[in-house]
Amino acid sequence: MTALPEETVRIPNEALRPPVHARSPREWIKENLFPNAFNSVLTVVFGAIIMWAVVRTARFVFVTAQWSIVRANLTNFMVGFFPRDEIWRIWVAMMLLAVVTGLRWGSGGRRRIAERTPQPLRQSLKPLWPPALLAVAIIVLSGSAVTAGLITALFLAGFGGRIAGAALPQPIGRWTGVALAVTLVVAYVLVAGPGGSGASLWRGLLLTMALAAAGIALSFPIGVLLALGRRSSFPAIRVLCVGYIELIRGVPLITLLFMAFLILGFFLPPGAEIPTLVTRALVALVLFTAAYLAEVVRGGLQAVPKGQIEAAQALGLSPVTITRRIVLPQALRAVLPAIVGQFISLFKDTSLVGFIGLTELLGVAQQVTKQPEFLGLGLHAETLVFASFIYWVGAYGMSRASQRMETRLGVGER
Amino acid sequence: MERERAADGAGLRPPPWRDVRVLRIAFQVLVVGIVAGLGLYLVGNLTSNLDRQGIRTDFGYLSQPAGFAIADTSFRSTDSVLDALKVGIRNTAVLSLIGIVFALFLGIVVGVARLSRNWLVRKAAAVYVESLRNIPVLVIIIFFYIAVVLRLPPIQQASEWFGAAVISNSGAVLPSLRDAGAANLFTLFVVAGFVAGAAVAWMRTRRFDRTGEPHHRVLWFAGVFFVVAGAAYLVLGRPVAFSLPVRDGLVVAGGIRMPPEFAAMLVGLVVYTASHIAEIVRGSILAVARGQSEAATALGLTDFQRLRFVVLPQAFRIMIPPLANQFLNLTKNSSLAVFIGYADVASVTGIIVSQGNPAPQSIVLLMAVYLVFSLTISLVTNTVNRRMTLTTR
Amino acid sequence: MTFKPLTADQRFTALQSGEIDVLIRNTTWTAKRDGSEGAAFAATTFYDGQGMMVRADSKYQRLEDMGNTTICVLKGTTTETNLESQFRGRNITYTPLSFQDNDTLREAFIQGRCQGWTSDKSQLAGIRSNFPAAQGGPEGLRILDVTLSKEPLGPVVRDGDTKWFDAVNWATIATIAAEEFGLTKANVDQMKSSSTDPEVQRFLGVTPSGADPFDAGLGLPADFAYQVVKQVGNYAEIYTAHVGPETPLGLPRGVNSLWTDGGLLYAPPYR
Repeated sequence: MTALPEETVRIPNEALRPPVHARSPREWIKENLFPNAFNSVLTVVFGAIIMWAVVRTARFVFVTAQWSIVRANLTNFMVGFFPRDEIWRIWVAMMLLAVVTGLRWGSGGRRRIAERTPQPLRQSLKPLWPPALLAVAIIVLSGSAVTAGLITALFLAGFGGRIAGAALPQPIGRWTGVALAVTLVVAYVLVAGPGGSGASLWRGLLLTMALAAAGIALSFPIGVLLALGRRSSFPAIRVLCVGYIELIRGVPLITLLFMAFLILGFFLPPGAEIPTLVTRALVALVLFTAAYLAEVVRGGLQAVPKGQIEAAQALGLSPVTITRRIVLPQALRAVLPAIVGQFISLFKDTSLVGFIGLTELLGVAQQVTKQPEFLGLGLHAETLVFASFIYWVGAYGMSRASQRMETRLGVGER
Repeated sequence: MERERAADGAGLRPPPWRDVRVLRIAFQVLVVGIVAGLGLYLVGNLTSNLDRQGIRTDFGYLSQPAGFAIADTSFRSTDSVLDALKVGIRNTAVLSLIGIVFALFLGIVVGVARLSRNWLVRKAAAVYVESLRNIPVLVIIIFFYIAVVLRLPPIQQASEWFGAAVISNSGAVLPSLRDAGAANLFTLFVVAGFVAGAAVAWMRTRRFDRTGEPHHRVLWFAGVFFVVAGAAYLVLGRPVAFSLPVRDGLVVAGGIRMPPEFAAMLVGLVVYTASHIAEIVRGSILAVARGQSEAATALGLTDFQRLRFVVLPQAFRIMIPPLANQFLNLTKNSSLAVFIGYADVASVTGIIVSQGNPAPQSIVLLMAVYLVFSLTISLVTNTVNRRMTLTTR
Repeated sequence: MTFKPLTADQRFTALQSGEIDVLIRNTTWTAKRDGSEGAAFAATTFYDGQGMMVRADSKYQRLEDMGNTTICVLKGTTTETNLESQFRGRNITYTPLSFQDNDTLREAFIQGRCQGWTSDKSQLAGIRSNFPAAQGGPEGLRILDVTLSKEPLGPVVRDGDTKWFDAVNWATIATIAAEEFGLTKANVDQMKSSSTDPEVQRFLGVTPSGADPFDAGLGLPADFAYQVVKQVGNYAEIYTAHVGPETPLGLPRGVNSLWTDGGLLYAPPYR
């Protein structure tokens, strides 16, 4: 593979595209909204329905809704009953993560210089509109200059990191991924500090994100191992893996949470210490997601052409090396969108841990309506809409990120 | 130690500790042994803990009286625990089946709408899909339950639609059919009419294959069915009648009750699953080769004809495996009824356990039930899948 | 010591699986719970009964008036079972609506989804006193003059651990015995040093003669009763402070008085 010359002749994209027939607004309306009789009727009917829905929603959001319940409980939504005087830990941890994530984003990790296309600032900012909208909503709701300042500082830290990352020389830039992992550990230690309680005091959005992150981190290796085991040449291992995967995929997550909650204690010898609720929820989530991930990775493994393995064997590589260096990278690349999709599902599935009594984001949304000052007012729509919005920002952001990753990696193109 | 070397190399066995076959078997035995040992240890702990506290470890509790009632059913507290489970299983099956049908229908409509030429329709469908796909289904269900269904007026001020339905926050009572004489016989004739209609449709299709004449099989099926059913209705002298709900104070007489929990679960599941199905439908339609669409347009087919005769049949084949997955997801998501108190099998198991019945056996039964559901759905969709691939080429 | 809040339908499995060691949560002593649920009930601390609460402006005065109504109840309680047997026994048709926690139940009651609310009378009294003023306050509710069942409430431990059971049992009995002896938080120190009654002395773990204090083999320290009374008071003090007539709950002693006052509280002798 020859190295690309430092200066490549670049054909501007515009010269490569087919000519675009510029349409006047009138032509656009005619073509898109009223091409024929049937569509015209559709446009009118739909237009009316959508106008009605938009007006009703806007009226709800801006006029009739009593957002005081969300405003009064913003901290509860974010961290539950975390000790209020220790919240600085969370802010510090978020700042650190913002800076290092920015670094990673800016330095582009281990991609070669020639692959990086410089993007105008506006282009790279566009995908950030959901979190920006959420930040604006939170600032408006909190009405506090301190919160506004902290959130702005958070965004600035991220951008600062990006600019710094872009300026990093390549040899250091390769280590930003490792730096991110280390920062995650540091963040955990920092936030788990109060009373040495670990994650047992975490509630609200903090718990949701912690469960999702830990779930992803733990279920990924287990899922990959299960997928490899399912294709193993040892019948015993294959049977065990298939049995586990099919069993877990056939039952809902609720049954696993049932098990973790009700009968985990029975499996331990008398006198053993019972794991905390958070640990139990995490175990259920990890076992569940690993089985689904195993199926996804299995698809990827099947997509790797056999010739690759045969060539590697011809070169004398050991089976472990073949799997690690040849098969897995191609397999994971092929199914990356599906893997991210599974992680998005995990993020959404954390809403079920309310079943075992953990108050994550959805749980907080339901509980704050029972506070004495809001009891009986029926303000569920407000809290649920706010919680849904947060979930949506997270899931939508992840799915867009995966789509961008898809185009960048050229997945699906030969 | 000398090894005998035969001329053709046979009889050359390395010692067991270097023999690959022996090592492989030994390794597998080891792995199975570890897993089995772990399993036995855990189960042993379980049984000894249960025994120590005097909790039973068999399934005998299933025949004990349940001691609790399930709303909206004929289940009584003196019925057995097993009967309670059967009610739960029936509820799950009904919810899943109706949910799958509606979700499929809505999903196909929205999926096609996402590819419409009409900008408004396209964008509306996109907003629907992108917003609902990214919210947890539990949030959607709870939202519909608390913020919609429970906001309906109480039974004393229930709204009545066209005198045919009574809607309140205790649920919806819809018109139903009741037995006015010979309902069983009538059902028999309805089924016979269905079978006759299917036979006629099949015959018309065969005729179409042979001669190429339009088969109009839908019209023929409907015609035969209604003739048979209508004749049976008249001959049997009105064997079934409509039962319209009539409100009297707190009670609604007649009709069939749809509890608010069921309505919320159904709407939530359908709306969520339809957004996923819409994406699958859109992807499958896009995966049908462009040449097909272009050829259809070149032949002069309208948009609708192109969709119905060229694109959708091919897309349908591509869709089936991911659709099967969504059906499975819907069935499993029906277990979220525990959060709003609809008596599906997971809810009923929760009640059974909270009434003091042993938890391990109940959970094992619950998992078995869901495995059976999953297997059934997989079997059905695999059969359809296989039929579709066979009837081409 | 850690306190773990639980809902009614989780409490027994939490006890069985070892997540908690003692359950003190309005739990009724029944045969099934003793037998097949692996529970052991210590001394009853509160003799309660199940009641029914309706809106004050409704026409219901007796259970028989409540035909065809919907009644709200908590999941996983004896209340559910009693409701069923009482109404079936009197041939009254009704629709049960069960909930996981009292707050959701209250919302449903306020929204008119059910016309009756059944629970232990002590719980109903508390709920009534907290009823939001926007809905009519406490005067907007009426507790019917019917008792659907006996509800002896007490602490619960796991079957199979007799030492722990004895300890919990006698720690509870100690509060009742203290009231019988007339010991209070305020006077227990003085009584410990100056009382000449041998029963009181034995109870408080005092031995004037210099011999070893009385050890009943319960696995508790000799002065456990003294510690209990010193730290939380006797039964009367606990009752008056938390559920008595002066508190928002406003429950009269009634059958929860000493046997000498005509109630059911009777401490076995400590000897």
